[in-house]
Amino acid sequence: MRLILRRIVGQCGFEVLEAGDGRAALDLLGGLDTVPQLALVDWNMPNMDGLEFVAAAREDARLRDMTLVMVTTESEQSQIVRALAAGAHEYVIKPFTAEAMIDKLALLGLVPTGANT
Amino acid sequence: MTEQPTPTVDDLREIAEQVWAAYLDPEGVRPFLVGEPGEPATAVSASVSLTGGWHGHVVVSCSSGAARHAAAAFLAMEAGEVSDEDMTDVMGELANIVGGNVKSMLPAATAVSLPHVVAGADNRFPTTRRICELSGTWLDEPFSISMWQGRGLAEVPAA
Repeated sequence: MRLILRRIVGQCGFEVLEAGDGRAALDLLGGLDTVPQLALVDWNMPNMDGLEFVAAAREDARLRDMTLVMVTTESEQSQIVRALAAGAHEYVIKPFTAEAMIDKLALLGLVPTGANT
Repeated sequence: MTEQPTPTVDDLREIAEQVWAAYLDPEGVRPFLVGEPGEPATAVSASVSLTGGWHGHVVVSCSSGAARHAAAAFLAMEAGEVSDEDMTDVMGELANIVGGNVKSMLPAATAVSLPHVVAGADNRFPTTRRICELSGTWLDEPFSISMWQGRGLAEVPAA
């Protein structure tokens, strides 16, 4: 999934960094001089899952401006509410097409226009 | 005890159509053909376990050739460039996607595990029974998606 997301956002002009789980992502972010604009976060990960990562990222003032998008199969309304309540800005349910992801990024103002506009 | 509704083969078919449209056949020219697989689809088997409100497993199985084609489609690579690790990753992700979508049809308290991928053998799930299976071929290779429900101990036949 990371390779698919890398391909999609790479086509939109983003430079991409990857981490295998939430803990690794926090470690990676801690070593960066510049905070990324966007984090695409899977829910189902080992060590630290996506929900825990979103909550941890939201507690870190340094990451305040990073947009958090959950990318997950957790499609129940209650789970979406949990993710948004934890601090995620948006939610993309797998399976998704490249067009759907680009439209979501456009909705968030991270790319100029959506795939269908 | 109240019988809980469980997904059907039609639900698996709908999920499979979404997966193929998004990742394996976005151009609609290499569809999954539902029917009897030519041979058991057990060369690569990826599964996620569901626990909590419902107990069981969702399994995606296919030949090694189909797994290679799936990885190539998923990762936008040529089939010849696909490594064993790519196949494992993609099969696990397919199980995760199918299992996660199945989970959304089950009681709210159900949780889905990380995927488990086995190459060269079938996944085995003691004290379960297969409740539905979507099987067929993709690119002339066997491919199947199945659901296995855990049985209460009282239902398990004596050895």
